[in-house]
Amino acid sequence: MPAPARPPRVFLHVDMDAFYAAIEQRDHPEYRGKPVVVGAPPDQRGVVATASYEARTYGIHSAMPSREAGQRCPRAVFLPPDMPRYEMVSAQIFAVFDRYTPYVEGLSIDEAFLDVTGSQRLYGSGAEIARRIKADILAELALTCSVGVAPNKFLAKLGSEYAKPDGLTVLPFEKKAIVAFLRPLPVTRLWGVGKVTRQAFDRAALHTIGDVQDAPLALLQSVAGPHNAAHLRALAFGEDPRDIELDVREKTISREHTFLHDEKSRGALDQILFGLVEDVARRLRADGRLATGGRLKVRWKDFETFTRQRPFPRPTRIEDDLHALAEALFRDVVLEQPVRLIGFGVAGLTERDGARQLDLFDLPVESRSRKENLDRAVDRIRAAHGAGAIRRARNLPRRPPRG
Amino acid sequence: MKIKVNKEAMIDCLQKIQSVINPRNALPVLSNVLMKAEAGKLELTATDMSLTVRATLDAEVLEAGTTTLPAKRIFGVFRELSVEEAEMDVSDQNVASIQAGSSYFRIHGISEADYPNLPEMADPKVYVVDQAAFRNMLKLTSYGASVDANRPLLNGVLLSFKAGKLSVVATDSRRLALAEHEVEFPADAELDLIVPLKTVEELVRTLGENGTLKILATPKQIAFEFDRILIVSKLVEGTYPNFRQVIPQANGERVAMERETLLTAVRRTSQLVIDAVSGVKLTFTKNRLEILATAPEIGEARETMDVKYKGPDIAISFNPAFLMDPLKALTTDEVYLDLMDDTSPGVLRSSISFVYVLMPIRVS
Repeated sequence: MPAPARPPRVFLHVDMDAFYAAIEQRDHPEYRGKPVVVGAPPDQRGVVATASYEARTYGIHSAMPSREAGQRCPRAVFLPPDMPRYEMVSAQIFAVFDRYTPYVEGLSIDEAFLDVTGSQRLYGSGAEIARRIKADILAELALTCSVGVAPNKFLAKLGSEYAKPDGLTVLPFEKKAIVAFLRPLPVTRLWGVGKVTRQAFDRAALHTIGDVQDAPLALLQSVAGPHNAAHLRALAFGEDPRDIELDVREKTISREHTFLHDEKSRGALDQILFGLVEDVARRLRADGRLATGGRLKVRWKDFETFTRQRPFPRPTRIEDDLHALAEALFRDVVLEQPVRLIGFGVAGLTERDGARQLDLFDLPVESRSRKENLDRAVDRIRAAHGAGAIRRARNLPRRPPRG
Repeated sequence: MKIKVNKEAMIDCLQKIQSVINPRNALPVLSNVLMKAEAGKLELTATDMSLTVRATLDAEVLEAGTTTLPAKRIFGVFRELSVEEAEMDVSDQNVASIQAGSSYFRIHGISEADYPNLPEMADPKVYVVDQAAFRNMLKLTSYGASVDANRPLLNGVLLSFKAGKLSVVATDSRRLALAEHEVEFPADAELDLIVPLKTVEELVRTLGENGTLKILATPKQIAFEFDRILIVSKLVEGTYPNFRQVIPQANGERVAMERETLLTAVRRTSQLVIDAVSGVKLTFTKNRLEILATAPEIGEARETMDVKYKGPDIAISFNPAFLMDPLKALTTDEVYLDLMDDTSPGVLRSSISFVYVLMPIRVS
């Protein structure tokens, strides 16, 4: 007996339009209708974070050097990013999503996937829910977004890109129509096809998604590698099995510090990083899990950001281990320019350390748990007497306070 | 500078030195080989600033001089030559003209004035070691060094000149390999030197099977002189962990095994090992070893072999790669494994003075 056909899943991809610039124009009426560029000033090194649609008509786009943007449109309004404010607006937007479904996967500050399959009985079809979300965001936050409605994540994202800004695109849900819809699109629309894969595709004369649909698997394998080939072919036929990834529990714990004035002294950076690591370690202990890796983040003066990550020799929540990793990662960083932001986080949080390779020089089990006990005792003292009640000697202020 | 050189001799020397060159170096001149022609000899030098290798060959020097030329290009040119001898004429503007049979090449170089000087070594300690023995010690140990950038000290190989012998040690803290050899040196030359892995790899590639090797060391630099080669390297600064303390003193139970048989059996079962903490499980019973690898949802592999063992039954898990490394490096027919229990290190030995300490995988 055939299983009853399951109703198709319905995914939305919501992408805010020119997010940072739109917030600035909303909050500063004098910028409305004008080209607005959020990012580094045009007379400094640095790049465009977001350009308003008015600015985009001059060919300005994100990641373009601000200097070039200034040359393309000298009368554009250049504004520094105000991340705390954008993050607040982002939280308001995600609160709107949460009204319609619990299945929300945030991709970035201004972009999310929503699985609304089960929400349709309450709020109407996927297209209807998309309309309601757009209306809510416009009415409450005076911002526009573009939404794609589709039977999976890949197609939903294609949909939101299809008509921008303020668009709503419902993709076909029927297999044949999906395949036909995808055929004329360029291969770069396939998830995971970047510059390098695209060049390889060009050499193999695979220009459109239709070309990929028609290509023998062997050709795809030689172009994209055996693992990617099957994946890309599935995407070319509009198949994407990925589910919404819910952040039920945080997968990472991290802290960042943005400097008021860009910092170039390694000593000062070390000091801040040390404090961040302490805080991450405290939150990791409170979480109770073990971290398998750590990550250092540095944003330079020109907004260029880079991260370096490295696994721990063994899963850990010992503060000394976190400090050692953070220091090792930071030691390798060449301070090419002043630092705007520094951050540290741990990832790969796991419940237990499982089977593991023993270490010749490792601390015996007893002394590891003694270290953990010490860390926890410090937490208790701080909880009772304040964060400054007990510190590591190296984190004491350099000079005694005057007075 | 104007010289006549033999093609094969040139290729041989370039091969010995050019692997030192870092393709991503910052200074263009570091992609070049420094060439110095003088008194019937041509000296070729390559460096990455940390490691410098110099090889000398005979040449007919028509006009002495010095220059630097792109190493890869020169190597490529000489490899393709159809005749045995080439004449190279380098102008004062560092443009080299190479004439060999029907071929002619013109190659632009860079002035030797831009090339870094070899580091000075003031008042070095000097040791003389048998080349083949030293190379073998490096081969027996260097695979054990760590490649984890978090542990810079363990990224090198320790040469410890103490108590009339040279101990060569490498460890990544999960296993430790130690080879020892008696060497004569004065008491005031007792030193611990941590040699970067890249330098060790270079030595393994270039050391010969005959003759002796002269080692010169200061606290920051080490130099190796052998045949017509000079290798100068920075040392890793710091104090190597006390390796003696992790070599178990108590012997436990001893198993004697055929090296090749064990290597093959571990290699076969390791096909079913999926990650670094799964390991292979070794179960020793009377004169019998069973090696088992299990991978959830994939399958299992099982090998049995005869061993010499009379102790109580014992089971212990190891990373198969760590178990195979010394078995590949050794050449003896038989190896001995001393075991205590499933969470204490296993100690592998052979008839030569070699010790390998391997921590097990604890199965939770």
